[in-house]
Amino acid sequence: MSTAILARPTAGQRLLGLWLACVGFLRLLSQRPVGLVGFIGIVFFLLLAFVAPLFVPFQNDPSLVDIYLTPSQAHPLGTDFQGKDVLNQIVFGGRDILTVAILAALVSTVIAITFGSIAAIVGGRVDSTILAITDVTLTLPKLILLIAVAAILRPTSFVFLAVILGLLQWSSLLRQIRAQVLSLKERDYVEAARSLDLGLFHIVFREILPTMRSYIAIHFIFAMTEAMYAQVFIVILGLVPVSGSNWGIMLYFAQGQGALFFRDSIWYILSPILAITLVQLSLVSFASALEDIFNPRLRGSA
Amino acid sequence: MTTAVAAKDQVRTAMDPRRYLGDTWRHPVARAVVKAFLTIWVTTTLTFFLIRLMPGSPVELKIDELIQTSNGSLSYEDAKAIASGLFAINLNAPLYEQYLSFIWNLLHLDLGNSFLSSGTGVTSIILAVLPWTLFSVGTGLLLSFIVGIGLGLLAAYRRDSLLDRVVSTGGSLISSIPNYLIALMMILFLGVQTHLINFTGMRGAYTSGLQPGFTPAFIGDILYHASLPITIYFLTQIGHWILSMRSATLSALEEDYVTAARARGLSDGRIRTAYVGRNAVLPLVTQLAISVGFIVGGAAIIEQTFAYQGVGLRLLSAVTQRDYPVIQGIVMLTTIAVVVANLAADLLYSKLDPRIGRAGGAAG
Amino acid sequence: MPVLSVRGLSIDYITRKGPVHAVRDVSFDLEKSETLAIIGESGSGKTTLAVGLIRLSPRGTKVTSGEILYTKKGLTTDVRTLDDDDLREYRWAEAAMVFQAALNSFNPVISIWEQFNDTARAHGMKDRRRVRDRADELLDLVHLDAKRVLPAFPHELSGGMKQRVLIALALMLEPQLVILDEPTTALDILTQRSIIDLLKQLRERLGFSMIFISHDLSIAAELADRMITMYAGRVVEEANVEDMFYRPRHPYSVGLLRAVPRVSGALGSVASIPGSPPDLMRLPKGCSYAPRCPYAIDECRAADPPLIPVDTPRHQAACIRWKHVAEVLGSNAEVPVAEKLA
Repeated sequence: MSTAILARPTAGQRLLGLWLACVGFLRLLSQRPVGLVGFIGIVFFLLLAFVAPLFVPFQNDPSLVDIYLTPSQAHPLGTDFQGKDVLNQIVFGGRDILTVAILAALVSTVIAITFGSIAAIVGGRVDSTILAITDVTLTLPKLILLIAVAAILRPTSFVFLAVILGLLQWSSLLRQIRAQVLSLKERDYVEAARSLDLGLFHIVFREILPTMRSYIAIHFIFAMTEAMYAQVFIVILGLVPVSGSNWGIMLYFAQGQGALFFRDSIWYILSPILAITLVQLSLVSFASALEDIFNPRLRGSA
Repeated sequence: MTTAVAAKDQVRTAMDPRRYLGDTWRHPVARAVVKAFLTIWVTTTLTFFLIRLMPGSPVELKIDELIQTSNGSLSYEDAKAIASGLFAINLNAPLYEQYLSFIWNLLHLDLGNSFLSSGTGVTSIILAVLPWTLFSVGTGLLLSFIVGIGLGLLAAYRRDSLLDRVVSTGGSLISSIPNYLIALMMILFLGVQTHLINFTGMRGAYTSGLQPGFTPAFIGDILYHASLPITIYFLTQIGHWILSMRSATLSALEEDYVTAARARGLSDGRIRTAYVGRNAVLPLVTQLAISVGFIVGGAAIIEQTFAYQGVGLRLLSAVTQRDYPVIQGIVMLTTIAVVVANLAADLLYSKLDPRIGRAGGAAG
Repeated sequence: MPVLSVRGLSIDYITRKGPVHAVRDVSFDLEKSETLAIIGESGSGKTTLAVGLIRLSPRGTKVTSGEILYTKKGLTTDVRTLDDDDLREYRWAEAAMVFQAALNSFNPVISIWEQFNDTARAHGMKDRRRVRDRADELLDLVHLDAKRVLPAFPHELSGGMKQRVLIALALMLEPQLVILDEPTTALDILTQRSIIDLLKQLRERLGFSMIFISHDLSIAAELADRMITMYAGRVVEEANVEDMFYRPRHPYSVGLLRAVPRVSGALGSVASIPGSPPDLMRLPKGCSYAPRCPYAIDECRAADPPLIPVDTPRHQAACIRWKHVAEVLGSNAEVPVAEKLA
C-alpha cells in the first residue's frame, strides 16, 4: 500500500531508529580512540555529578580535629582545611558547575539559532543590524567584561550566572547558522516546502536545522568548556559571593587557605584541578572526534 | 558588458553621492574602521550605564559610603559632588549631559581619578602597569604563534606520522586545560612538591631595587620574572596554532597551484614557503588578533597567581577595593586595545592577500 | 625513436576498500612534432595518465607497472627511473604540463612575474634581466602585453589570459613535449578558437610534440595528428585522426562520434551512449564496454579483448567485432562517421 510510505512512524519505530543511530554512532566513535575516551569521560562525570549525589550522603560537618588528613580509608582523598572529606566534596562539587555549563551553552545556542535564522530569513535591515551586533560582540574582551560585570552585579544565583555566560558566547555560532541558512534558503527542497505553505517555523526546524546538527553539537560542547572556564575563573578570583561548595569554590578556598603550600594538603587542591581538567579534556576530545566524524572528507575514504 | 554600457555606468556611479557612500561601505578597510569605532562606543556606553544606572550602582554606593564615613556630616549633595569628581561625571546634570561629558573627558584621555588615591589619575595608574602585561602577553603570543605555525606545517607535511599524531593530539590536549589550572599545577609540582623553581623569588615584574633601563641585567631580570606567565600563555595557545596551521596547510597542499608548481619543477622548499606557507598562514593572521582579546582576559588570573604586576592584577585589586573608576578605565582601555588589534589584523590581512581590496576584474 | 614511448603503463589509486585501476596497460608512441589527442569521458583515466607521465600523481596513487621512455638527442631514459633532482629537471625542461586555466593553477598571493621567476630560478636561470627578457618574449608569443600581465595577480586575469600565460610558461625552457589537460574547457567559444589557433601557430614555429587530453572531439579534429580513445582506464582505439573520424572500429569511438552534434545536421541526429562508465574497483569480466555496447555478444564478456590492428597496421582497436562495426558503418569511406550516422 503506497500510503504506508507516508504514514508517520510509530513510537516503536522511532525508538528502534534511535537505538540504531546510537549504535552506529558508537561504532564510528570506537574508530577514534581519543574521542571514545572523551565520551566515556563525559558520561562518567555526568554520572558522578548528577547521579552519585543521590546515593552518597552529604557530609557537611567541619571537624577541627581532622584538618588536612592524608588519604586513608575513611577519607580516600584526605580532608580540607575544615576537616571535611575531600572526596565527598568532589562528588557533590560537579553538579553546580556542570549545570551552569550546560545552561550557558543552551542559552548561547538558542540565541544563535533564533537570531541567526531570523537574520538569514528576514534579511535586509534586520540582517544588517543583527550582523553588526554580532561582530561587535565577537570582538569584545569577554573575560575582562566578565570581571567587571561580576564585580558590579554580584550575581548570586546560578541561573543568572549561566545567562550572563551564555550572553557572551553566541556570536560565532550565529554567524555559522546565518551562513548555512542563507545558502540553504535557495535550495530546492526549501522552495518545495515553501510552496507547500509549510510555514517558517516548520522550514527552519524540520528542513534546515537538521543539516546543521554537527555545527550545533560541536558548538554546544565548546560553549560548555568556555562556560566552565569562565565560571571557575570568577570563583577562584573571589569575584562572586561564595556559597555552598563546588570544584571552583574548593579551589578558591584552597588558594586562600594556602593549601598550595602544604605537602599534606595536596589532594585538597589537586582533586578539583584534576576533576575540572579531566572534564575539559573529555569535552574537547569528544568534540574533535565529532568534527572528524561529521567531516566526510577527513574520514579517509576514496 | 559592452564598452558603451560600461562607460555609462561608470559616469553614473561617479556622479551619484549615494552610490559613492555605498562604495565606501563596500571597501573592507573602511568597514573595519567603522566597526572598530562602533565596538568602542558600545563598550564605553555599556560601562557608563552599568556604573551609573544599575540599582546599587557603584556611584550610589560611593555616595552612601562617603556619607557613612563622614558620620552624617556630609550632605547628599556634597557627597554627590565628591563622587562626581571621582567618577569624572557631573551628577547633577541630566543623564544625557553626564554621558556627553563622560565621552568628552574620554576623548581627552581623562578617565577620572582613583577612589583610593584621589589625585592619581586612572590613566597614569593604568599606564604604569600596562607595559608589563603587553610585554608578557605579547611575547607569549608571538612565541606560541611562531612555534605553533612551524609545528603545524611540519605535522601537515608529515601527515599521519607519529610526529603528526603526537603534535596534534598533544597540542590540542594542552590547550584544553584552563590556563589557571596549568599555572597551579606548575606551582604544585615544580615549586612545592619538588623545589625546581623558585616561585617566591619570581614574583613581581622585576626585582625591586634593580635600576630600570635598557641594560642587559635589567632585561634579563624582567625576562626572568616574566618567564612563568609567558610559559603559561605559550602553552595555552600553542595547540590552537598547531591545529589551525595544520589544517590550513593540508588544504593548501591540495590546491591545484601546488600541483602546477611541482609540474614546473619548483623545489620543495620554495613551494613550502611561498606557495603553501603563505597561503596557509593568511587565515591565521586574523585569528592572531582575535586571540589577543582572549589572552588579555585570562592574563588577569595568571598575573594574580604569579603576583605579576600587570593590568590584570591591577583590575583585580581594583575590584576588591571597589575602585570603580579604575575598573571602568581598565575595561575601556582593554576593549580599545583589543579592537585596535583586530583592526590591525584586518589591515594586515588585506595587505597580505592581494585578492582583498583591489579592484579585481578583468577584460579580455 | 619516438620522443615518448609509453609501454604497458598501469596506475592504481589505493583506497581503504582496495585498489582502483585507473589506468590499465596503456601503450602508445609519440613522434617528434606529432600531436596526440587522448579522448574519453570523465573517469576514463585520461588525466591520471597525463599526470602520471610526469610522475605527478597525487598521494595515494601508485604506478604498478610499465615504462615511460623519453628520448632526446638519441639518448633514451625511462622517466620512472629518474631520481628526484633529475625528475625536477625533466619536468618543464623536457615535458611541460599545462593545466586547465579554469582550475586554480596559479598561486593567488604572488604576482605572475614572480611565478615566472620561480620557474626560471628552479631551472638555473638566475639572471633576472635574462628572465625578464625571456618572459617578455614568451608573452609576446602568446599575444599578451607583458607590461600589463607580469605585475598582475592571478585573480586580475581572465580565463583566456590565464590559459595563454600557462602556455607561455610552458614554453619557457623549450621543452620537447607539451602536455595540455583540457586546454579549452570552461572557456567561451571565441576564446577557445583563439587558443586553438595559438597552439597551431606555436607548434609550427617551435616544433614541439604535443599531447592533449579532452572530452571534446572537435579540438582533436583541429589539432591532432593521432588519436587515442580511452575507456575505463584502457586504450580502446588508436589511429590517426582521419581513420578515427572516417573509419572508427571500436563501438565506443563510434558512440563518441555519434554524440557530437552537427551544425548542419538534422535534429535528432545526436545520440548519447546509454548507461554509465563502470566502477573501476569492480570491473566486469571481459570487455568493460560490453554492458553499454550495441554489438556485444557472449564472447565479448568472456575475456578483455586485446588491442589488435584493424584495417591498417597503425590503426588498432580493442574489439573482437571490429569487422562487424565496419560493415554497419557502411562503405562510404569519404564521409565522416558523424554524418553517416545522422
